[in-house]
Amino acid sequence: MIWDFQKIQQELEEEAGGVNDGQNLEAFRIKYLGKKGLIQQIYSSLSSLPSDQKPLVGKGVNALRSRVTQIIEDKKTAIKQKEKRSSQTDLDVTLPGVAHRIGHQHILTQTIDEICSIFERMGFAVQEGPEIEHEFNNFTALNIPADHPSRDSFDTFYLDLKDPHDKKANLLLRSHTSPGQIRIMENHKPPFAVVIPGKVYRPDAVDASHSFMFHQIEGLLVDSDVKFSDLKGLLTHFCKKLFGEDIEMRFRPHFFPFTEPSAEVDISWKGGKKKWLEIMGCGMVHPKVFEAVGYPKGKYTGLAFGLGVERIAMLKHGIADIRVFFENDKRFLEQF
Amino acid sequence: MKVSLNWLKDYVTPGIGAEELAHRLTMAGLEVETIHSADGDKVFEIEVTPNRADCLSMVGISREVAAILNKTRKPPRIKDTSYPKIKCEIAIEDKSGCSRYIGTVIEGVTVGQAPDWMRKNLSVVGIRPISNIVDITNFCLMESGQPLHAFDYDKLIGGKIAVRRARKGEKIVTIDGLERELDETILVIADSKRPVAIAGIMGGKDAEVNEKTKNILLESAYFDPILIRRAARKLGLASDSSYRFERGVDRGGVKTGSDRAASLILEIAKGKVTRYADVNITGKTKTTNSISVSVQKVNQYLGADILSGRCQTILKKLDFKVAARGKGGLLVQPPSTRPDVKLDVDVIEEIARIEGYDRLPTSFPTIKISDIPLDEKRFLREKIRKALIAQGFDEVITYSMTNREVLVKAKQNDIKSVKVINPLTQEQEVMRPSLLPGLLNTVSFNINRAQKDLKIFEASKIYRDEGEIEALGIMMTGMASEDWRQAKKQHVDFYDIKGAIVKAIRYVLGCRPMVFVPLQENFLEPGLSAAVELDGSVIGLIGKVEEGVLNSFDIKNADVWFAQIELKNIISRKPLKRAYQTISPYPAIVRDVSLTIDKRYFYQQLVEIIKEKGLKNLVEIHFKEDYTNMVRDKIASHHRGILLSLVYQSAERTLQEAEVNNDHQKLLKALVERLQVVIR
Repeated sequence: MIWDFQKIQQELEEEAGGVNDGQNLEAFRIKYLGKKGLIQQIYSSLSSLPSDQKPLVGKGVNALRSRVTQIIEDKKTAIKQKEKRSSQTDLDVTLPGVAHRIGHQHILTQTIDEICSIFERMGFAVQEGPEIEHEFNNFTALNIPADHPSRDSFDTFYLDLKDPHDKKANLLLRSHTSPGQIRIMENHKPPFAVVIPGKVYRPDAVDASHSFMFHQIEGLLVDSDVKFSDLKGLLTHFCKKLFGEDIEMRFRPHFFPFTEPSAEVDISWKGGKKKWLEIMGCGMVHPKVFEAVGYPKGKYTGLAFGLGVERIAMLKHGIADIRVFFENDKRFLEQF
Repeated sequence: MKVSLNWLKDYVTPGIGAEELAHRLTMAGLEVETIHSADGDKVFEIEVTPNRADCLSMVGISREVAAILNKTRKPPRIKDTSYPKIKCEIAIEDKSGCSRYIGTVIEGVTVGQAPDWMRKNLSVVGIRPISNIVDITNFCLMESGQPLHAFDYDKLIGGKIAVRRARKGEKIVTIDGLERELDETILVIADSKRPVAIAGIMGGKDAEVNEKTKNILLESAYFDPILIRRAARKLGLASDSSYRFERGVDRGGVKTGSDRAASLILEIAKGKVTRYADVNITGKTKTTNSISVSVQKVNQYLGADILSGRCQTILKKLDFKVAARGKGGLLVQPPSTRPDVKLDVDVIEEIARIEGYDRLPTSFPTIKISDIPLDEKRFLREKIRKALIAQGFDEVITYSMTNREVLVKAKQNDIKSVKVINPLTQEQEVMRPSLLPGLLNTVSFNINRAQKDLKIFEASKIYRDEGEIEALGIMMTGMASEDWRQAKKQHVDFYDIKGAIVKAIRYVLGCRPMVFVPLQENFLEPGLSAAVELDGSVIGLIGKVEEGVLNSFDIKNADVWFAQIELKNIISRKPLKRAYQTISPYPAIVRDVSLTIDKRYFYQQLVEIIKEKGLKNLVEIHFKEDYTNMVRDKIASHHRGILLSLVYQSAERTLQEAEVNNDHQKLLKALVERLQVVIR
């Protein structure tokens, strides 16, 4: 055969590789597709070829032509692209992105939500109670009699305010969320499981670990056969969900007028020197409390617990001073 | 309470190290907060809970140690004391205030230094040794928990004792040297002329024992806890005695305490008992009631499996009398030291804590479905919070109380606010009637720390004479956006805060008509504020904080925008039912309207006239821009230029140009006629 298509093909590809602008693309086109170009030459030669070679050469030249056409098209696109790119300024892709600002939920309400949601996943309802309370709900119904030393841990703010429905009642700012228990029990029939988050107030001098306003979450589960072992199980599960699996816990006997038996829960992180941190109080609902809300004697048992939100948030996030929660420095709020 | 380990060992031998003992006490409910070494001794600082007056003594703690570690106790030794028949004169006038009073007159004592071992024991637990007589009373107090007092018998006018209420205007100089005014609510010990001690709290200077004292009267009594507590609070005076009386001392310990102290005085300070009287109002020492509890109940309540024998051992070690009764039944009688144990659950706690909470089983409760409804207030607050955080606002929490001066500064003092009766500081004297002061404090705090761009909100409560009110406060200042591409940065303005409020409320309630009406408030800039109305009633206000107010909060060179919404007005409304609206497949025709309008008209009026026409195919009205400034000299000076965009669309068919034009012309005509607008 007089046309070595394999060699032509090889040369074509080599030449194509060198084509990088409009000028040499045009030279390339003329060389192959021009009036005197190679492909035309091959077509012209066909008539003078022996008849057995004609089909082979015909097939070869057709393939060659379509390959050349393809190359020219591809090169045109590539050159166009290149020209476009050279006319634009490249971005500094490392400059900061621009987004609409997203705000920050206060770490205390985030902590409340996190704690409540752990209990909600276990079937607890979330209910809030009022901050302005009756002395009965805050103390008497919770088995905290007047003039008793057990009131010492509950110094309380009293308000110059009268309940329009009960003029004799002394109104105060609740000193714990436990009166929420009384409201739930007075308005619902067991069984129920509820957590009660909210603000509480105590006349404490403000320092790094004391505040006259802080947040608590109260929990209450009442049914016909709630056991002390249930309290241990429930709170163990809760603490692991909140603080992680690598904690140790202990239940230490304590005294609360509205639970019997009562306990405080301490946690400690595994490893390192053991340091117990008190995180919550709990116990079995005192029969006097059931009596105060008018439940039939001996019909129900219940468990109750309460924790301080600030304390939990301080432990979880390494915050050393309770006052920062209420200063609301933007640089503090943005960290959470 | 401070407990000396060496002293404690006089009554029980723990047989374990201090650290281990501290741990065991803690895990039985007597939390050892610290251990420190003093004078070759270990001193535990124990937190004794208010129900456990019985543990406010070495003997009390030894009882616990014996129960926890199963040891035998060595009670204090009392030498046999026989008392003479001659009575000392004691008259209890207030029989409910003092149910028992034992007076022992010891004559011929030698006042001097107490023995070293006693001085050391007292010093270690923080009591300063004074003289043998005083130290013995303090020693016995710490040993048994029974407060005692010694009077100089020769200084008691008339040589007799009366237990009575103080008379109005009576005064006493207590042994701490301070003169205290007394009244009828305070119980005193008096001689025939004057009070010589405030009962249960502190003795008086007049009859104080000193180095010259020869004859003493030793007092051991039971005073009413409430009376002592009230008096101590009223006088602002607390002592080791009052601390114990308030919590209730052992009625059964009045006599043994007296005997023990008398016997120590005779041994150490010599002398001779010459007179004695035991006035016991209640007669026989009141015993505690028996409590019936079954071992089955114990185990059911605890979810445990403690054997009856173990229950009985624990209770007996704690000095309870226990009798088995029937199958698994126990009849339990607590000792007189434990008036806190009244019910079966109290007995259960005793068993549980000595057994050890950590040794009790753990289970998971069955939590049943209950009908406690969703807390609407909380749900609403959560939604509002989400809507505002999504719009770039940071949530803040400020104090619910404030001081009156801050309210005056924020010009919120007209509102009827709720007073706190017993504030500790001025910062707590009044409940906030508005979220404005707290938010201004927050802005001031941040601006003064170079944080000038602030978008904050507080979803919390305000307090008025009608009680607590759920409210939302929003505050903005500084730049509107953080976009570095914008060459000219814009400050936040009225429309930013209005937008935030409208978006947040729509997010909660769906699209309801909210109306903004110009408002005059002394804490807001006139002409830049509005009342917010929803369904015809005012739900809050919005506006620029007045400059004087800003200055008083030390906020300089900043515009501050504020909005407050009372959420109760939103909670009471149910969100609109969200019914699906078919999306029209037919094209919409948009007509822009450029007009100028007299400045006395509000945009709202324009919209209302358009709406009044009730055009079925007019589906949207958009405000595009206020272009007054661009054409200032081309339009009437009392006019402003507004560009509107009206969208016509039908859900049923493609609208024809002609019918839209027809509708549109009607609208324009109405605007021209009613509001004298000029269509451009």
